[in-house]
Formats: sequence, C-alpha cells, structure tokens
Amino acid sequence: MTNTYIRNATWVLDGKQYDFCLGQDSETACELNGFQLPGIERIAPAGELEIPAGAPRVHDATGKILMPALFDMHASIEIEGRSKRECVSRAGQAAIAGGVWGMLVIPTPGFCFDNAATLDSFHDAVTQRSAAEMLTAGCISQGMKGEQQALYNTLAARGVSILSDGANPPSNLLMLHRAMKYASEIGMTFALRGDVPALTANTCIQPGVTSYNLGLHGTVPCAEEIGIDTALRLAADAGAKVHVQTVSTAKGVDIIRRAKAAGQQVTAEVALHHLLFTHENIGDYDTTYKTLPPLRDTTDCEALLAGVKDGTIDCIVSDHTPCTPFAKKQDFTTAPQGMIGLDTFLQAIYTYLIKPGKLSWEDVVRTCCINPVNIANPIDLEEDVPSAAPLLLFDPESSFEVGADNLPCGTLNTPFLGTTLYGSITLPLQ
Amino acid sequence: MKPRKDLLTIGDLSTEDVNTILDSATAMKDIFTKSVKKVPALKGKSVLTLFYEPSTRTRSSFEVAAHRLSADVTTFTVSTSSVVKGESVHDTIDTLMSMKMDYIIVRHKNSGIPAVIARHCKAAVINAGDGAHAHPSQAFLDAFTIREKYGTVAGKRVVIIGDILHSRVARSTSTILKRLGAEVAYMGPGPLVPPQAYTDIPRFTNWDDVFEWKPDVIYLLRVQNERIDTPFFPAKDYHQAFGVTDERLRRIDDLNLSIMHPGPVNRGVELCDAAMDYRNSLICNQVENGIAARMSILYHLTPQTQNND
Repeated sequence: MTNTYIRNATWVLDGKQYDFCLGQDSETACELNGFQLPGIERIAPAGELEIPAGAPRVHDATGKILMPALFDMHASIEIEGRSKRECVSRAGQAAIAGGVWGMLVIPTPGFCFDNAATLDSFHDAVTQRSAAEMLTAGCISQGMKGEQQALYNTLAARGVSILSDGANPPSNLLMLHRAMKYASEIGMTFALRGDVPALTANTCIQPGVTSYNLGLHGTVPCAEEIGIDTALRLAADAGAKVHVQTVSTAKGVDIIRRAKAAGQQVTAEVALHHLLFTHENIGDYDTTYKTLPPLRDTTDCEALLAGVKDGTIDCIVSDHTPCTPFAKKQDFTTAPQGMIGLDTFLQAIYTYLIKPGKLSWEDVVRTCCINPVNIANPIDLEEDVPSAAPLLLFDPESSFEVGADNLPCGTLNTPFLGTTLYGSITLPLQ
Repeated sequence: MKPRKDLLTIGDLSTEDVNTILDSATAMKDIFTKSVKKVPALKGKSVLTLFYEPSTRTRSSFEVAAHRLSADVTTFTVSTSSVVKGESVHDTIDTLMSMKMDYIIVRHKNSGIPAVIARHCKAAVINAGDGAHAHPSQAFLDAFTIREKYGTVAGKRVVIIGDILHSRVARSTSTILKRLGAEVAYMGPGPLVPPQAYTDIPRFTNWDDVFEWKPDVIYLLRVQNERIDTPFFPAKDYHQAFGVTDERLRRIDDLNLSIMHPGPVNRGVELCDAAMDYRNSLICNQVENGIAARMSILYHLTPQTQNND
C-alpha cells in the first residue's frame, strides 16, 4: 500500500491551503486549528509537503475544501414496501452522496427499536449493507404506543444513548416523566418533538392564507411551543437531558434559548427544509412540501437561522423521510409528511446557505459535524472507542442537476428535484 | 372561451370565461320552458358522478343537467364500491376510466382531490366540492341567480354569514362575485371566520353592522356539524347571534333584501321557518339555476378522451 496525497486543499476552518498525506493506519490522526483530522499522517502548508516522485495517488485539490464529513442527527430510513435491508443500503448510499458519514436513525413503525432482537438484526444489516455509520435512537415506549417504557437497559447495552418515539412523542406525560427519571440515570437523552396532539389532529399545514385558500386545516404553531415547553419542564424536574427535534417556530427557538440561559441540559435541531422553505412553497397542493412539523413563515425561517448562528440550535439535520412516488401523488391531506434530505445534504446547505452568505463554513462544521457527534456520541461497538468523522473533499465549483440518477435513496420526494445544486463530494478519501 | 378540460376552482378561470359560462347558462335555462327539455349537445358522451360525500341537490342537479344535454349518466356509489375496501382514488379512477368516461363529476371530503384526479385522467373533471376548498358550480349558480334577480352582479353588496372557515361555498362564491364586480363581506362566530379569510374583505361581528353596510343579498351558510368534531361555539347561541330570526326577517323585508342559502337549510339555526317562505328568498331559484349553470359548465368543457369531432 502507498500513501495518498492531497495537494492544495483548503482547510474548511481557516481558509488556508495545505498539503495532506493520508496514513494507512486507521488510528493515525493529526491536529489542525485544534481539530482532530483522523487518517491524516502529515500536514504542511501548500507546496511544502514532500511528495515522493511518482507517487501513484496524488489528488490536486486546488479550489476544493477539505472538511470533516457530516453527521445527521435525524434520519428515518423506512421506505414503504421495501425490505429493511434495502432501506439500510439505500440510506447508506444516500448519506455518502450527501457528505454524511453517519446518522442517527429515528424509530419508525418498520424500525421500532424497542427490543434487543430488532436492534441486533438492524446492526447486522448496517454492517453488511450500509456505506455509512448508523446509530439508532431507541424507543421511549414499547411499540411507540406511549403507554409503557421500553427496555432501556437492554437498549443501552447495545449502544443506544438517545430515546425517541419518532414522529409521535408520548402524550402520556406521567409515563414520560417517569421514563425520564429512570432513564436519565443510565445516561439517556430524550429526543422529543414539540406537539400537543389534541391541537394538531387532522392538520397538515401552517395556518395562514395558503391554508385558507387551499381549504386545509392549519397546525397552530403554539402546539409545538407548548410541547417544547412541556418537555423542557418535565426534563428539568426529572433531571433528564433533552434534545428538541425539528424545532420550526420562532417562539420555539426563544423557549430553547431561555432554557439554555437558565442552565438546562438541552440541545436542539432544525431540519434544513425549515430554514429554506415556507408554507407558500406548497402552492397548489405540492405534497413535496408536506412536512412534519409543517413549513412555517418567513419570520420563522429567519428566527431559526438566527438560532443556528447564535448557538441556540445545535444541529442542522436532514429529517430524511423517503416516501414512494405513489404516496406523494395522493391528495395533500392523505399524502405522507416528509422529504428526503440525505442525498443532497451538504450540496443543498452549500447552495442555499453558504453560497448566499447566510451561514459560514464554521457554522456548518459546528452544527453538522461537531455538535451532532458530541450529542449522539457514536461508539464503535466492537472496539468500544468513539467513532471519528472521516474527511471529505468538497468542490464548490462543480454543479449538477438533481434527478433520479443522483438520488440513491430511491425515492424522489425532494424539493430540489430538477434544480441545480452546487458542489461535488469525494467521500471516502482514498 | 379557450378549450378547457377541467373546472376545479373559479380562480382558474378568466373573467371572460366566467361571463361566457354565465351567458350560456341563460340560454340553457330557456330550454326548461320548452316542451322537450333536452338538447343533443352531449349526445353519446358519458358522464360519471363520483361522490365520496353525501349529496342530494348537487348530485341530482348535475345528473339532470347531463340528461338535458343528452349525455349518458352513470352514478358511482361509494358506499357499495371497492372504496370501502381501501381502494385508492387513483385505482378507482383507473378502473372507471377503463369504462371510457368523458366527464367525471367528483365530490370528496379532502381538499385537492379533484385536482389529483384531473392530473391522472383524460376525462373532463368537474369539482363538485372538495373539503373546505372549492365549489365552483355553486359559485356559478349563485352569480347567475344574483344576475338574474338584479340584472347585474357588479356593484351589488353580498354579506356571507356563517361558517366561513369550513365553507367551500364561501371561498368560491366570494371569488366569483368579486370577479364580477360585487362587494362581499363576511359575518360569523370568531373561530369560524379566520383572519386570513378577510384580508381584503370586510368582516362584521353583528347584524347591526351588517344592516348598516346596506347589503343587497343576505347569504346564509349552513352550519356544517359534520365537519366539526370539537365545538367552535355554543351551538344554542347560533340562531340568536347569527341566524335570521323573525325580528331580523322583518327588517330584511323592510329593506327589501334578498336571502340566499346553498342548502340544505338547518331550520331554526340559520333561518327561522318564516324566512323559508320570504317573498325575496332566492333559495329555490338557486336550485333551478343550478341545473342551467351546470349544463353550461358541462357544455364548455373539453375532455381529452377522444378526437373531439
């Protein structure tokens, strides 16, 4: 084996150009700007690294950015009608295509991580089929029914450190409060979406002019805010850590900001689509834009972006939710919620947030690389050591039109379909 | 009027299209007084009525309209079909299109379903009411009725009273009336008149303000109990607060105002009994004009099911 060399790559955090030599030992690591670079044996300013004449693997990375690959805190990988192995395989390919090395898989009815057997068979499938790392969020309640606590010690023994009941957080607050008291003692974090089901039943869109004109029932934002506030108060009382999932409203951001200021152990995420789109994108019943929670107003997008920049929101997530073309062809009320996000994750972030100057590369590294890993704490179960993010090369000059050929997850429910995104990704580096 | 396959909302039509359909409705209504109430305009064409929600007047109105145009009419009964076995709308339409239907008249509780069907098939699709979204044929018959009564819609003032939130009639009828130059206002219980409904429409909260506005037409909406799972207001308050009581009827009569209602009427809720026999009630005119308006709509649509020879 010979070393791989990368010349003139721009390091994402300082904007300077360096030459890198990739080691052959997986435990090799160098440090740059206080950041551990796994797999890198040597670093030198551009042009100063001695590269052996005739070295067979030398990448000229002029104009390209070297950065840690992304970790996605929120992906649902189930595809209706497909085998679990295929779902795992496709999600893994999708992640790599979008610059994501690892993800937290959120329970869904087909991937109900409330017992050892389901987790074991899932981990087998990941080992055999997935190109990306997949951590699992264990269920809060058995069968995600919100009635009885899942087997937390069993889940913990299989590496689970985050609990979630997916799209439907428990409405039985007594059960949740007791679960928090118990599971927080074995280091569990509760990932919860803000919701009050009684207020949001049979709704599918942000209330406003669009919902009125389309004759659709609106999901009042206060339901999410009451849900977040309730979860935080329960967690504060029970001494549990909370990760607020897919916050979508400006007041939701404020609630989290106040809780952090008061010293509560809380982290939060925002889905990329809530930063980019509003309910007005739904237009004439475009089910691509039906999400959970629904797309909100421009003022919410702005508040969420401000929350990302000031650290109130820790992570940007894909909230990847594959839906079959037929499912999304149905009417807006019947069609399932969600859009895919893994396949184009980094390219969309670059095109819509970094390129227009709304976020910096530092913001993205913090919210998509560093914070998610710190919260999810991925562990190599075989070696019992923390898994480290690999590096990727990002070419901001190249562009592509999004189509079925570059959506390996196998479904097409993305708002970027047919649009041009910027950036090509080399992951893994070899 | 340019060839048009479907009628899904009033907003899809130009003002010229609206006037063309209304003008033809006048001609269609003349047929009603002939000894043979039938013309061969749609002879040989197949019309399907596909109603996923209960309906008496809209369905029978469309069926009578299609018969008077000499079309063959098939009635699809949802309660005895594969729909109750969980069949998707797409699969139902595929099955029905295999029977070579030219027109599909559809009503569904979910907003947007007619658009889904229209995209999926070559038949002309007419929205006969989808959720709280649209009811364009009702809008045409309402506009036609006002035009017939007053000679014009332009300049008339129409106050629509009741459950604006859930009403596809309010959305479609206010759109067509404003398009034709009428002024529209809303009144109803707060939770049923959402702010986004009256961004460009006056909203009243009591009858005194309504009368002060000097309307020409009082348009009552039905309280749609079937769409209300958790109450929006104390039901027993409705008649006194928003209904046409005997006392208000006298005032309406004094001012020579017209009363309209899309039906079916909840007697004692929206209207007192006496209001049903009020001299300026246009409710029966609406039913009769519904057939003429629907004949005109059918006449002006162009299915893509065959060479339109």
